[in-house]
Parts: sequence; structure tokens; C-alpha cells
Amino acid sequence: MARIVHYLNQFFIGAGGEDAAASPPASQPGPVGPGRRLAQLLGDEHEIVATVSCGDDDAAGRPEAIAEIVALVQEAQPDLVVAGPAFTSGRYGLACARVAAAAKAAGLDAVAAMHPDNPGIDEAGAAPVVASGEAARLMGPALDTLSAAVKKILAGEALTDADGLVGLAPRLPRMADRSAAERAVDLALARLAGDREATEVPLPRFDKVTPAPPVEDLARATVAIVTEGALVPDDNPGALESARATKWLRYSLAGRDELKPGEWRSVHGGFSTVWANADPHRILPLDAARQLERDGAIGHLHEEYLVTAGNGTSVANARRFGVEWAADLRHSGARAAILTAT
Amino acid sequence: MRAVHRVQSVGMGEATTWRDGALTVSAEEAQALVSAPCLADVRVSWASPGDSVRIVKVLDVVEPRTKGPGGAGVFPGWIDGAPADGPTHVLRTAAVVVAGYLPRAQEAVIDMSGPAAELSPFGGTHNLVIEFTPGPGADWADVDDALRRGSLALAARLAEAALDAPPDSEESLADPGPVDGLPRIGAVTNLQTQGLFKDVFVRGESFNGRAPALIDPAEIDDGAVVSGQYGHPSLRNPTWVHQNHPVANALRARHGRDLAFAGVVLAPEPVSASEKARISAEAARLCADAGFDAVILTKEGGGNADADVALKMDALEDMGIAAIGLFAEMAGPDGTGPPIVVAPERATAMISTGNYDTRLDLPEMERALGGEELALLGVPATSAMQLPTAVILASLSPLGWGRLTCAQDG
Amino acid sequence: MERAGIPTALLCNLTSIAERVGAPRIVPTRGIPFPAGDPSLDPEEERAWRLRLLERALEAVSTPVHEPTLFEVK
Repeated sequence: MARIVHYLNQFFIGAGGEDAAASPPASQPGPVGPGRRLAQLLGDEHEIVATVSCGDDDAAGRPEAIAEIVALVQEAQPDLVVAGPAFTSGRYGLACARVAAAAKAAGLDAVAAMHPDNPGIDEAGAAPVVASGEAARLMGPALDTLSAAVKKILAGEALTDADGLVGLAPRLPRMADRSAAERAVDLALARLAGDREATEVPLPRFDKVTPAPPVEDLARATVAIVTEGALVPDDNPGALESARATKWLRYSLAGRDELKPGEWRSVHGGFSTVWANADPHRILPLDAARQLERDGAIGHLHEEYLVTAGNGTSVANARRFGVEWAADLRHSGARAAILTAT
Repeated sequence: MRAVHRVQSVGMGEATTWRDGALTVSAEEAQALVSAPCLADVRVSWASPGDSVRIVKVLDVVEPRTKGPGGAGVFPGWIDGAPADGPTHVLRTAAVVVAGYLPRAQEAVIDMSGPAAELSPFGGTHNLVIEFTPGPGADWADVDDALRRGSLALAARLAEAALDAPPDSEESLADPGPVDGLPRIGAVTNLQTQGLFKDVFVRGESFNGRAPALIDPAEIDDGAVVSGQYGHPSLRNPTWVHQNHPVANALRARHGRDLAFAGVVLAPEPVSASEKARISAEAARLCADAGFDAVILTKEGGGNADADVALKMDALEDMGIAAIGLFAEMAGPDGTGPPIVVAPERATAMISTGNYDTRLDLPEMERALGGEELALLGVPATSAMQLPTAVILASLSPLGWGRLTCAQDG
Repeated sequence: MERAGIPTALLCNLTSIAERVGAPRIVPTRGIPFPAGDPSLDPEEERAWRLRLLERALEAVSTPVHEPTLFEVK
């Protein structure tokens, strides 16, 4: 009988939505919520012995949370840790990936499930990630994929693309049957014969970005200006970092038609901020945006601007900021964005 | 033509002799060959495959080769041997290994047994290890030079012992050239030329600042390329590896069958981006002018050196010449980091020679040569220890010697 | 943000990197330290340049695209 611990967020254990997002790590016996269906699919040879949960904000935002979650997981002595499915939920996906990575690093088998576009997909370390659809209404197929993957892992088999494997697959050391030089000669002959694909090292993978449809009626739309140029009020009240930013901030533009030098400053460590500080509009073009508003080219300029420092930002954080900015702007009704980059 | 003598056993004795696969070395003679005013003391000992021995602080490794007495025909620019024709005699599976402290040398390890043994070419060779003590106040550059001259002279002397013995096999070396109807595949060998303790020599002179140039691969076989490069242990090419140039040999082996071995180009690895771009463009043009249809590119060093391969690969692809690059990966201990530091943009054919960061659990050894302590970890050199593959000499062999690689399951 | 359905005009100087990572709507700027400016111009000209830049950005978010596309200011 294989022992499984299931990790879920506050929503899927039924503790609430955003209001419960700060709830701390907790554990309860047996399967909960979607875990029940997962247990059914897994059958008699597998038992979900415990469900560990945490609020998304706590898991993705408080540095000690993951270790606490893994400690709770370990108490249940699992053979495998299953995290998610997180669908496209960014914070939940990050939490699932990090829990799986930490469990794996602690010597436990682990697997996470989420949509391939989830920013958590590259943070699962040595733990495999299998695909789910975009939203919870696709829980059924997601659990089908996940339960099949769980069975395979417990049977000691490696997952492949056919099992829904997504995300970074670790590069594992192997001894080939021939030397690198001999393999290079084979690869050269393959290339000469027309094979454009063959390689032992895949090129760096960048996300496919599906462009959004265009704004239809700009004259009535709210447009937001956002920036990675680290422009903040002169005293940097939010303590935005100059490099390796771990956060983003928002500042109000309400009632302002311009940004006066001396009241704003760029704290970006990646370029000389002399010009930006002499005229903050060079980072945040408020004057031109207000002109466009007056001329009727846009309906409204969004009342706030969102800002971070794009200097050595980890890909994981940058992805997370993007997810959060998108959520924030949608929530506030902005229909398009202008992002100034340095 | 190589006259290959297989070494079956080794030992010390009164005189340096070769008989029926047994190589005996006179310690006195060996020490005398390596001695120099800047060296207070030189000691030689054997470490053979399977021995419970760890060699630390490895500097260069040389394969015993000569065409005649006195180092005739080998290591031009270092040994004053007379030029010679005829076969090059090789003592295969023997090596002269210099081991000891030099400043700026990154500590390199060879284990003669245990899991790391098969990762280095020299875990499988009978190694005559030269240990040394510099003279008081000796200049390190002089020490390095003396060790180089001494080890090359000793390597030639060992091979000399087998000159009159019938070889175990003879290997003919196909000369590069076109063969009707077969694709012409050449090699570009990048040499790291960054000055003292990080330099590579061609015919006795640093290749720093040189233009990319074609070289007769037979010259490389006879020691025209000598390494004074003590940087990244896993990513450097000791002299032995150049003598056994894996890519040239792999191409030669199929010359006339499914390809024509088209030649070897040597290129330096400059340290500025603009110089890298310039040298890479020149090297690509040289390959095009020489009629190569495809090129296999190798490097020496870490991420910086990736750029030299990547730039040439893109330049060649832009000219319609297929380019294959050998790269080591730096994917982190769990293999999930971005593997290649500087990848090509348009060329895509890459061979992986393994992951720099993979952890190895190495056993305790009975004996250590080259030093008493592994400075990297501050432990006795004989201790059991965990090391990244990065520290094992030539383990990620960028010249393509090794079978180590990376793969993704599924 | 594009994935969430918010068309986004990226004003940046290193456009090849933007293309490489797949940003769909790219508006080239004149310098890294001043994405929405140009200190070589006098203040009035610079403001005029800024306005043209934003107008182009608005065009970018109102145009359907399928792959990284540059929207240069004429």
C-alpha cells in the first residue's frame, strides 16, 4: 500500500478564497476536496494518508513556509508527495512547484501538476511536473493525468511527454556507448544528410507568448503605464531593490499631470539614472499620456502605475510579477498596457 | 604511421627498459631528465589503474612518444631532437604526469580507482608521476618551464626504450584530403591562450594572438601542441589529449568510408568580445576556403570559451557549412539549471560532454601523490570526499575523449 | 500580461532580446537609460518625440499580431 500526501491550497480544501490566502501550513488526515477523486482513481494500492494545505500568499510569499509544509508532509511518512493541480493559478503553482522541489531535495518522491503556462513550471527542481488544463473546471482530466503519473512514479518508471510531462527535465549524467568525438562525427553526417533537429543539448527554451487580441475601442479604454525602470517617490518608501528585485510596487497618478524632478527617482542599479532623475517622464511618460487622454486618443489613464526594477531579476520572479500585474490590471479594468523597459 | 606498444606492467629498476610489455624506469635517470636549477627536488613514482591512489594538483600529462633516440621528431620547439621520418613509437596506456602546487593552477584530481577513475583518461593509464619541490626563491614561471621541458624529455625517453621492439600494432594516419563523392568534415580546435599557467603552445610558442591556421594533424600527433594550461580541470586539454586528438582520430577512422577527413584548424580563444568575433569570422572563412562541408568544433575552458565555439558555429551556419559544437553543461547539481552558458543562436547541433556540477562520492585512498592535502576542501588528499565532476582532470573533455554526457529521461 | 488578454506595448532598446523571448509588440526606444526620452533633443523636441512614441505604442496595442513585431516610430 503506497502512502501519498496531497498538497492543496486554501481554496481546494474548502477554507475560502482570497480571504484565506494568508492561512498558515496545516495538515489533516486522509484526502480532501479533489483528493477524494484522486484517491478513487488511484485505487486500492494507494492511500492518500494526509492532506497538507497552506494559503497561497503564505506559501508563495513567506520564505519559511515551504520548509514548514515539508515538515508536515514528512510527519505522514509518504512514499510520494503530490502537489496540485494548480491550473494557471500563479501563486498556487509556485507553491506546488516549490513544495515538490523541496520534498525531492529531502529525499521524497514528488510530482506537481499545473498548466504549462504556470510560472511555477520551472521551479520544481528535480521533481517532475505534469500538465493540467487552465482552470478548475478541467479538474477531471487533470486528475486522470495526475493519477496515471502517480502510478508510474510509484512503479519506478520515468515519465515522458506522453504522460503529460512538462517543464524542465533535469539533465542527468550518463555514460554514452561511444566518445563525444565519435558522436560528433555521427551528428555531422546527420546534419549533412539534412537533419535540422538532431542535437544532444536542446537550445534554451523561451515561453511561447500568445499575443492578446488588440484593443478595439481605445478612445473608451483605460490604459495603464507600467515600468521596470524602478521609478519611485524620491525617498523610496517601498524599499524597492536596485537589483534582484523580489517585489513590485504601485504608486498613484491621480490628480497629477506631470512628474517633477526631485520628487521621483530611479533606483535601478543597471544603468545610469542621471537622465531619468533629471526628467522622470523619460521612464514614466505621464505628460504624454495625459495629453493623449485630453485628446481623446484613450479613454482614461489608469490611476496607478506599477513598478519594479528589471536588473538581474530572476526569470521566476519576473514571471510572477507579470502574472500579478496582469491580475491587478484586469481587476482594475485596464484594457492595455505600455511597459517601459531599460 | 604509429608503432603502438601496449604497456602491460610498470615498475622501477636500475635502467629504463622495455621488454614484452613491461616498462621499467630508472628513477635516477628520470629525475635527472627533469632536474633544473629552479627545482630543489624531483621524485618519480608509479600509479597504475586500480591502485588505491589519488593524484592531486595535476599539471600536465604527456604520452610517451618518439620517432628516434633523443626525442627525434617529437615535441618541436621543446626538445632539440633531430627531425625524423618513419613511424612514431607510442607507449599506449602509459603517461607522464606532473603533479604539485603551482599558483593559479586550479586543483585537478585523478583517482586511479573508484567512481571517478573512468571519468578521466588518466584513471586508465599507467602514470609515472613527477612530484617536485621548487628551489628556494625560484621563479614560478621558471619552475613551470622546467617541468614542461623535463616531462616532455622524459616522455620521449620512455618511448625510446621501445624503439627496437616489434610494435603490438601499427596504425596508419590518413592524411586529410578530398575523396570523391564524400562530404568533407574538418575540425576546429580552440586553444586557451591566456598567459602564464593558462597557455597553450604550438611548436614551442604560445598561440596567443595568432591567427586561426590549418595544421597538419600528423604534427599534432607528434606533439606540436603542448599544454601549459592549468585552469578548469575538467575542461582543459592536457598535452596527452592533443596527442590523441579525439576528433581528428574519429574523423580519420572513417576517412574514405562515409566521409573525407578535411583537416584541422587551430584557433586561439581571445578574451574580448570583439576579438572573439573577429577570430571566429576568420576561422569560419578559413574553413570555407579549405572546402569543409561540415566542422566539428571543440574548446578549452568554461563559459567564456563557449562563446568562441558558439560564434564560430553561427558564422559557419551562415555560410552554409554544418557546424557541430562540443559543450560541457553547467546545469547545477540537480541538472535543472540552464545548461549552456553561451549557446549558438542559429546553429543548433551540440554534443554534450557531461555536467560540470554533478556530485561524485569518492572513496578513501591509501596513497596520495602531488600533495598531502586537497586544498579545495582543506582535507587530507586521501580522505573520502564529495567533489563535483568539475575537479576531475579532463572529465568533461571538451576535445571529445570521454563517454560522459547528459540526457533527459523522457 | 499578453497571456491574460492585456495587449502590452514594450518600449525597449534591446529589441533583439525582446524578439528572442517572444514579446509580441515591441516599440524601439532611443536608449536604455531613457526609454521614453531622448536627452540629445531640446526639451520641446523631446516631449514631441515622447508623444509620438506613445502614439505608436497605442497603435501597437490596437493591432493584431501573431509573433514578435516591431512598431518603429517613423
